[in-house]
Amino acid sequence: MPPSSSAPIGPKDLGVLIEDERLPAGREDLLEPLDPHSQRERLLVAIAEASAEKGYTATTIADICATAGVSRATFYELFKDKDDCFHAAMELSLADAMGGIVAVYSPDKPWAKMVRDAARSFLELLASRPTFARMAMIEAPSAGGRSYELYASGKRVLQSLLERGRDDPMEEEAIPSSAARAALAAAESLIVGQILAGNTERLPELLPDVVYITTVPYLGQEEALRQAREAERERTAADS
Amino acid sequence: MSARRRTAELARPPEGRRREHWRPPRGRHRLPPEVIARSQRERLLAAAIDVVAEKGYAATTVADLTKEAGISRTTFYEMFEDKGACFLAAYEAAVDVLTRRVATAFEAEQGWLARVRAGLEALLSSLAAEPRLARLALVDVGSAGPAAQRRYRAALQRMTPFFDEGRDYAPNGRALPANTSRMAIGAVIGLIVDEIEEGRTERLSELLPEVLFATYLPYLGPEAAAREVGEDAAPAGK
Repeated sequence: MPPSSSAPIGPKDLGVLIEDERLPAGREDLLEPLDPHSQRERLLVAIAEASAEKGYTATTIADICATAGVSRATFYELFKDKDDCFHAAMELSLADAMGGIVAVYSPDKPWAKMVRDAARSFLELLASRPTFARMAMIEAPSAGGRSYELYASGKRVLQSLLERGRDDPMEEEAIPSSAARAALAAAESLIVGQILAGNTERLPELLPDVVYITTVPYLGQEEALRQAREAERERTAADS
Repeated sequence: MSARRRTAELARPPEGRRREHWRPPRGRHRLPPEVIARSQRERLLAAAIDVVAEKGYAATTVADLTKEAGISRTTFYEMFEDKGACFLAAYEAAVDVLTRRVATAFEAEQGWLARVRAGLEALLSSLAAEPRLARLALVDVGSAGPAAQRRYRAALQRMTPFFDEGRDYAPNGRALPANTSRMAIGAVIGLIVDEIEEGRTERLSELLPEVLFATYLPYLGPEAAAREVGEDAAPAGK
């Protein structure tokens, strides 16, 4: 096995990464599952649902309030405006996604195993929250402002984790520095396509594809194919 | 209308300069009504690209579009139901032009490596020559709602056959994941979008080695991909 697949990630790396990006890092302070009695949380679900239906740009505060069954006055008590509400919903999504990655992360874990586990956690999270998946993966990238920044930060954390696969200095010359960014874009495009096609619940089935594309730049084709098979074996074993 | 003509209509000069659109002579003219309608539609589609590129989709109004195209509000609503429908039509026209250019370049070459290289070169140079078109086709479309997003996905799908040939070319082709082509396209488009966002649209052609690597990589593995990109990039090469 190439050295990069077995090299552990430095102990503090992930926490530092998340902190550097000022991302919400845990689930502890968040209600999980979402509390239907909380008007705030109903509004967060509602903005995700309304923007999934007509796009974030076209979504109005009236849409959000109607979907949530919350008055306009209450909306403005809780949020400054539509962007503010969207940002809060994105924070919730990011906290879940980062929480999922922190949960599978261990400093002693080999890089390839970490990628398999993180990819599975991420796909399963998206599948379990279809409306938030759509919001975070499709609406946020084009929303602009602070919500876009959250999305971009989350992506940078994933990119830094992938780049740990490149710890063999011999490889520096061999592959372009954009390899991790390109691999993430590849996986993202596949995920977004499935969400738009209405297959969000089946996203975990993409695990071997995602593991292959994110490991192939660093591990080579044969080892990446092996990692993809291994990821699928782990996933189906956990399911049954 | 020929593809070339539409291309010319949609082509934009570099940022900053406003191109004058051809308009039918004012007053009582003898152009047949369908010719006038067609030119109004073309102006409107070109205007949609300009205005959305400048103001963003959300801030664009029907009034902006009619003003830029020099047509009346009534004429606008005879052609399109709303801003969204007009944007989608402009989008389709832009994607048609791009896809045709890529296909022509791809098909002119022999062998998958050379075909993909030519296709990607055509894609990058087309986008670099028309920054507004590039932004509309790949960036602004994301904020234009679910219908536009579905068109965008469909447009990406149209590139699949160019990549799928890599599966036949690759020694390991049959063992590759089912979605290899989709992911390779996603990587290429992702790299291009990042350049556009960074304001480097006009220098997109410089991105060729990286998009080639991202394309070859899943089919050939990193070593062979780097080797093929290197050979392509060598000055002695084509």
